[in-house]
Amino acid sequence: MAGIEKASAPRSVAHTVIGSSIVIDGEISGDEDLVIQGTVKGRISLKESLYVEASGVIEADIETANVEVSGSVTGNIAASDKVELKADCKVTGDIRAPRILIADGAQFKGNVDMDVREAKGK
Amino acid sequence: MATNDGTTIIGESILISGSLAGDEDLTVRGRVEGTLTLTRTLVVEPTGQVKAEVQVKNCIIAGVVVGNVTASESVEITKEGRMVGDIAAPRVIIVDGASFKGRIDMGDVEIGDADRTSERLDRPSARPSIRPAARPALPRRAEPEEEEEEQAPSRPSMPSAPVAMGAVKRKVLVKPTRR
Repeated sequence: MAGIEKASAPRSVAHTVIGSSIVIDGEISGDEDLVIQGTVKGRISLKESLYVEASGVIEADIETANVEVSGSVTGNIAASDKVELKADCKVTGDIRAPRILIADGAQFKGNVDMDVREAKGK
Repeated sequence: MATNDGTTIIGESILISGSLAGDEDLTVRGRVEGTLTLTRTLVVEPTGQVKAEVQVKNCIIAGVVVGNVTASESVEITKEGRMVGDIAAPRVIIVDGASFKGRIDMGDVEIGDADRTSERLDRPSARPSIRPAARPALPRRAEPEEEEEEQAPSRPSMPSAPVAMGAVKRKVLVKPTRR
């Protein structure tokens, strides 16, 4: 797994920000980056990246290209590209993605599926 | 971190369906369906579409809103704004070019809630500061033919509505001009 650390940079171009006092109960879908500082329950499906910031709380199934979690996520995550669990995040649920990064300090409980072909326990 | 201190932006390609609540300003460039409850200001930008029951403090509509809007302070429909639904707010501002279908209830109005449907509020220019008393008689004239459900025959006192609106800071003229 080549560590490409730069991937967390392009946040400044995010068009959509769910602020910290916002609570959404329902479904979010879209084609652009989404930054979540608030609370979302339900479902999130995006074609781009999802950033869950430290104040963000997600209780939802997530389907995106990239996910970067610094906050808390309860639910299954399916990413077509990458899932990154940063230090201090809390994630409960299954993760499915070709690339999964878990930083030191991250809390995670659930299954990981990298869809690895060759025998390799994680 | 991103652009944020107390502002939430829903980008153009984003669709949120369900309920959304919060204590900060919200700018909608995408779509929101369901219910929307804020203690601050909602701005629906020209690309934004809101199909929801909206409850906010202030609401500025430059996009499309379908649903009822209840604001504790004001609702403004800009010239690009289009709205279908009822408005309940002490201050309602509808500028020239805006399109609106629904009722407006400004609360304090003496005659109870002003129920008028299918009215088109518009004014050539200078919206605040023109005395409403100048034209309040007009609504009576054209209303009968374009108002099926809420004819309100029982209230010939219609003119008093705009006058009472004048008590509010912004005044709104009710002129049933049809496009």
